[in-house]
Formats: sequence, C-alpha cells, structure tokens
Amino acid sequence: MRLVVRDVSVFHKNRLGIAHANFEANEGEIVGFIGADGAGKSSLIHAIAGVIACKGEIVFDNHTYRSCKEAEPLKARIGLMPQGIGLVLYDMLTVSEHLRFFADIHDLVQNEAFETYKTRLLQMAGLEKFQDRQAGKLSGGMMQKLSLICTLLHRPKLLLLDEPTTGVDPLSRIELWEILEEIRRSEGTICLISTAYMQEAAKMDKILLFDEQKIIAQGTSEALLQTVESLCYDPGTPCVEPCIKTLQTLYTLTPLASKSTQTPTLEALFFVNALKNDKTMPPIVLSDKEKSDFDGDVLMDAKGLTKRFGTFVANDNVDITLKKGEILGLLGANGAGKTTFIKMLLGLYPIDGGELRLLGKTIQTPQDRQALKASIGYVSQHFALYNDMSVQENLLYFASMRGLPSETAKERIKRYAQELGFENYLNALPPELPLGINQRFSLASALLHEPVILFLDEPTSGVDAIARAQFWELLKCLKEKWKIAILITTHYMSEAEFCDRVVLMRQGAKIADDTIEGFYAKHPQAHTFEEIFLEYFR
Amino acid sequence: MRVFWTVVARELVRFIRSWQLVLVVLYAFTMEVYIAGSGIELKPRNVAIGYVDESGGGLSQKLLHYFHEPEFLPPVAFHSQAALSQAVFDKEIILGLIFDEDFERTFRKNKHATLNVLLDATAASQAYTTLSYLSNIVLNFSDTAFSVELVTHKLFNENANNATFMALTELLSITTMLSVILTAVVFVKEKEDGTWDIMLLMPVDAKSIILAKSFSQVIIVMIGIVISVGFVVFGAFDTPIHGSFFAFLVLAFFYAFTGAGIGLFVAAVAKDVMQVAQLSVVIMLPLIFLSGAWTPIYAMHPWLQTLSLLSPLRYFIEGTESIFFRGTPVLELYPYFLGVFSVGSILYVIGFRKIGHLF
Repeated sequence: MRLVVRDVSVFHKNRLGIAHANFEANEGEIVGFIGADGAGKSSLIHAIAGVIACKGEIVFDNHTYRSCKEAEPLKARIGLMPQGIGLVLYDMLTVSEHLRFFADIHDLVQNEAFETYKTRLLQMAGLEKFQDRQAGKLSGGMMQKLSLICTLLHRPKLLLLDEPTTGVDPLSRIELWEILEEIRRSEGTICLISTAYMQEAAKMDKILLFDEQKIIAQGTSEALLQTVESLCYDPGTPCVEPCIKTLQTLYTLTPLASKSTQTPTLEALFFVNALKNDKTMPPIVLSDKEKSDFDGDVLMDAKGLTKRFGTFVANDNVDITLKKGEILGLLGANGAGKTTFIKMLLGLYPIDGGELRLLGKTIQTPQDRQALKASIGYVSQHFALYNDMSVQENLLYFASMRGLPSETAKERIKRYAQELGFENYLNALPPELPLGINQRFSLASALLHEPVILFLDEPTSGVDAIARAQFWELLKCLKEKWKIAILITTHYMSEAEFCDRVVLMRQGAKIADDTIEGFYAKHPQAHTFEEIFLEYFR
Repeated sequence: MRVFWTVVARELVRFIRSWQLVLVVLYAFTMEVYIAGSGIELKPRNVAIGYVDESGGGLSQKLLHYFHEPEFLPPVAFHSQAALSQAVFDKEIILGLIFDEDFERTFRKNKHATLNVLLDATAASQAYTTLSYLSNIVLNFSDTAFSVELVTHKLFNENANNATFMALTELLSITTMLSVILTAVVFVKEKEDGTWDIMLLMPVDAKSIILAKSFSQVIIVMIGIVISVGFVVFGAFDTPIHGSFFAFLVLAFFYAFTGAGIGLFVAAVAKDVMQVAQLSVVIMLPLIFLSGAWTPIYAMHPWLQTLSLLSPLRYFIEGTESIFFRGTPVLELYPYFLGVFSVGSILYVIGFRKIGHLF
C-alpha cells in the first residue's frame, strides 16, 4: 500500500490551487501539510481524496486516478475529514446515531468484529459515556473527535484530515493525535494531515511545506531544520542585505561569521524561501501620535465582569486590567468565552454584572458605551472591511464615521499608507490585496482615531509566517511609540511569548493571569508556552 | 447629520457598484411591469374552436362565421362527437360546438333548437368570456320580444384597457417587494460579510445608522418608480393621469418607507441573504393578497375585508388608482395618505425597534 503523487496541479476554474506537487507516502506514515491559508494544502488534499479533478497523476494501491470518476473504486478505502469543526456532523443526531448512520452509508457489515472496532474507537475518543448526547451539544474538541471516528469507521487505508486541530482546545488536540498514532500503527493507514501549527510537525514522519500554491520543501522535521540551521541568527547580529529581521530571529541567505545561538523552527524555511524569491514585505515605520496621552497608568480596569445568556453564564466574574504600553494576550480554546468577553469590553454587549472602568471613568449608561467605543480600536477576525469599496474609500468612510475632520483624515490616511507600506494599494479593493497587506490596512482603519486601547481578535490566524512576524513588530512599535494598550487573542501558542502578560480563559472563567516571565518561573520544567498552557488544562 | 449623509452616500455607491443588483432592480421596474401590463389578457384571444355539423350547414355555418380572429382561431370541423371530445381532452380545442341533425329543422319550426357546447373549463376566464360571446351571437339570431338595448358609459378607463391597470398594479407590487428586500439586504449583507461588529463599533447613534441605511434604499426605490412611470406606464402604455403626479410621488415615498420598515423587521430576524428572500415572500404574499391587487376587496370574505385594512398596499393601490384614473383632487386623497402613513409608521417603528435591539 503506497501513495504516489506525481506532478499534480489543481485549478479552481482559472485560479491555481496547487502547482506541480510531488511526494510519496508509505503504509502507516503520517505526512503533514504545513502552510498559511490559501497556500494550496486543501486543494491537494481534495485532489488526493478524489473529490476534485487534477492534472498529473495520483497512484494509490496501484490504481491511478486524476478525476472523481477514476477515483470512485477507491472511495471505500479513503476517508476525508474536511476543514471546519463539526462539518460532517448533524447537530440533532446523537453520537451513537452518527456511528450507525456512517456505517449505513458505507454499507458496512455490522457483525461482531465491527462492534468491537466501534467500541474501540469510542473508547479512544473518550466518547463511550456520551453516546446518547446530540452532536450539537458536544464541545468543539469532542465534535472533532467524533468526526474523526466517523471518518475512521469504514477502516480507510488513506486518511485525509484538513486542519483537524485548528481552534480545538489543547487537550483534545493531544487526544486527536493519540487516536491517529494508534490507528496508523494498528491499521497501517496512511495519514495526510494539514495544519497551521508548526509545533505539530514533531509528530509527523514527513513534512511538506506549502507557500503560494507550491510545495517549497519536504522531508523529516530534523532534515528540514538542518538546512536552515546556519541561516538563523540573533536579531542584533549585523548583516548585509538580503536579510529579514523579526523580533526573535534574523534570517539571512549567506551564513554569517558570528556564532548563532538560535535553534531554528520550521518557520525559518518560509523566511529563507521568501529571501530566495526576493519577496520581502515593505518595511514599517511609525511616527508619534498627535493626541496627548492619558495621565494615569491603568487604561482599562474590569472587575468581576459577568455576562449571561439566559441561564447560561458566558463570562463569570472576570477581572482584567489593561496598562499603558502593554500587550496582553488572551488565550483559550474555542468557546472559552474570549469573544463574549471582548464584546463586553468593546461596549457591544451590555454588562450583566461587575464594573468596567475606562480611563478612570465607570462605564454605565449607553452614552458611556459610546465614549468607550470612541477610544478603542478593533481589528476583527478576517479583517472584515467593506469589500466593494477601495482601501482609500474604506478609510475615508471610517474616518467620517468617527467624526474626524476630512482634512485630518486625508492627511492621516496618506501618512499611514506610507508608513505601513500599502501606499500602492490605496485604490485596490480589499479582496485583491495579499492577506498581509489587508492586515496592515485593517489595522490602519482601527488606528485612524488614535485610540488608547487596541483590540485584536485573532489577527494573525491564516496569515503566513512572514506577515505574522512583521505584524508583531508593528504591534511592538505601537506599544513603544504610542504607549497604547493592546489586547490580543490568538491560538498560536508561540505568539504568547511576544506578549507582556497572558490571561488564560476556560469555560468563561479566568484561570491564570501572569507575565510571561511569571509563567515560566511557576513552571520551570516547561520549554515552550504550549507546555505551560497544557498544565492548566490537565 | 454628517454621519447620516456619509452612510447614505456609501450605500448608494455600493448599490451602483454591484451591477447585478442594478440590473435586477432596473428589470423589475421596467420589463416586469411591461410584461404584466401587456401579457395578462382577460379577453378571449386565439381561442381554438371545433365543431361537429350534422345539421347540413346553413344556419350552423352562419353562426360559425361570427367567430373570427384575433379572438378566435378559424373553427375546425370534426367528423364525430367522439373525435371532438378527444380534441377537447387533448387541449387542442377549448370550445366545442355540436350541431344536431335536427338543429336547423327545429330552429325553423318552433325556434327551440338546442346547441350542445363542450367547454374546457380549466381555462376558466377565457372559456367563460367565450361562452358569453357565444350567447350574444345566438341572441342576435333569436327574435325575442324582449328588446332592451344597453348603452354603456365606461368610466375612468374609457378604452376598457386592461394593460394600464395591470401595469400600475404590478408597479405597486414591485415597489413593495423591492423596498422590503433591498432594505433587508443592506443590513443582512453586513451580517454575512462580518462587518456588523465594525458598524456597531462606530461611536455613532444607532438610530442615525438605521435611518440612513433605510433612507438610502428608499431613494433607490423612488428612482425606480420614476423610471417605471416615465418609460412604461406613460411611455409604453400611454396611461392618462388625471390627478396630481406630485401627490403620487409623495404617497409612494411614504409607502417605500413602510416597505423599508418591513425590511428592517426581516433583517433583524434573517441570518443571510437567502433567509431574507424566504422571509420576504412569506411576509409579502399576504400583504399583496389582502391589498386588492389580485382580487377586488368587495369580493373577499367579510373578515378578510376587515383584515385588508391592515395592508398598507391597499391604501397605496386605491390612492394611486384615484390619482391616475379618477383624478381625485389632492385634498380628497387624505384617507389614502392617512392609511399609508398610519399603517406605515406603525410597521416602520416595529421594524426599527426590532433591529435596534441588535445594536
């Protein structure tokens, strides 16, 4: 049993999905697809699953196919779990009804062997106690485990999982990996798994790195890291062009004389690839803000904030303090109450209990909430902006809604466009922009009125490594020059290390609040923030 | 005020940029109205007639001569009643006439002849008007002592032209549909695109945003009405207007706001554009049924008649008819203005509050 992918290209109408992909996988291997959103991972997964036609050829188990029709005889041996939590599930069916349904649509013989296998899957997923619960009432992690065992029910020999761990709480993530490990050992299944988390690479036998519809590198994690070992240096190291500097690392194409103390991560491969192809992002500078500072040190202070929806308590007694010039990371799994909490801080939801003080003033009336809105900036997930208006029109519109005089607005837009490097895109529509530029311009729209607090809701999810690194540089710049307080949510654990302070949330409650140094001091055995995070979920 | 006009301008720009939507709106206000006016025909036209003549001709052929184009196709002769019945069954013939063997003989003798008529009653209105033509024709042949001549004075629509009436009614229905859907869509689009939160985050009074957004769509509908009246109602159908055109525009303006109010309600409930379409149909159909657009109000069941007082479209239709056909003076139009305005403002306030809760 072997999978060979030869020169596969996928087109979605005229748009390129993936170009010239080549790789092989042997029985029982876990192959990881790593890359940003839109890099081509899903296209390749769909082509291999035989649900989309492609050029080139795919050979699995000595059967060659390149279209849905040719792949038809293999479908009984292929299992595909698409991207998105609970997408293959039906909210109103219970766990056991799901298993029966998936057994029936695959026309499985439901004999004793099947029952034993089913029970084993249920045990592995830890769902045997929840067999009568409706899928809609399961947590995100449980839904994802149920989707996985439903996909495994017909014992596929080729398992394709599209971002199974995105947005899933860390404990469920580990359990998902344990199931996969077990299955590939006992069943000899080939597993292809796409992910945006570099950290999961360690659990894979082989890694394919995706960037801009191409596979830029492949091999084992160690082998890949070795290729960039001599190209990563401390940020302070002097360097001649071409090189890219981020908060933690300096990447260069030619090895430097000085000794490197860095242990490279897979992200380095993306930076090196960008350097090779000479596509660096425009640099960022930032001038001082025009408005004068607020005198106090604490910008926002929340005590015992509570939000209820009916009998369900979404946020329970959460305290939070935002200080001037501080980046606060808010971490938690999907459904932990992060979004509800931010919406309360933004003034979008009325507060059911507790007290919120902004710039030393308590927020009580709807008028107060208007004042609150006027002094904060917000960048939402996916940089939601008006897609049918150009960048310039978007910014002018926001300025006008914020009541900025049009002269000031025009001047600021011009300045931001220069400083944040999207000057050339002012007349383009947002969907035409590269994601990284879109991110900067979204940030610019949130900064037009020079807010004292900036809220960022997963601003880096799906963005490629380079744009992400530059975004963090920009945030640091904002913090230092403007003394602005930044509250950011993210599900990249590695990004927690860039924050000054981190708050962990679980089931609507705050479970930890400390500086990064404080966390490491409390957990001396931990090497990465991910490990610390896990401590709180066990 | 600046915020209000900023939002209005933005919505208008967005509307113009989405050319598909512009096309749909233009189509609805022109072609749709034109088709409704010229396409729906209540008079018989191209009715297929078949006959079996066993009487030997003469009177029967004389009778058949009266059926001519464009109302009727040339009558087709059949050899047997069975063949004629089959043709009616197969929908080839709508009206079948059977002249018996002794049809002419009886007619000449005692003037009590029987003419058997087969009628495909599934095409009810065409079939029955055809039947009344037939009775008129037969009446001409019989010398009754009863002779009363009808002298008709057609009022308000001298040519008894159905087209102008249908076109105008259709325009009013389209106004209802578009003012509801367009308004609902500008809000729901924000939900779909994920810009809803951004909109809420502006330190601006929610009322002015809601008002501005619905006002922008009212402007679009008003422009559509002017185009429709100019090109189709006046241009293509040459409809006379006896009353004040300005009064009609004011009435339409109030009415468009009523539709916008319903749109606000739909927008508050719907999650995406698909749901807007579904909900709008469910809400609009009773509104149109009860308005008298399709069935005159006096022909409805009494309690439906009472219910129809709640349909703002009823006042709009009656008011528009009075302006166009009756030429009612502006001051006497007050019941319609009052109706549209009161029902309309109630609906707008309900919709406004409903969506206001989401802000």
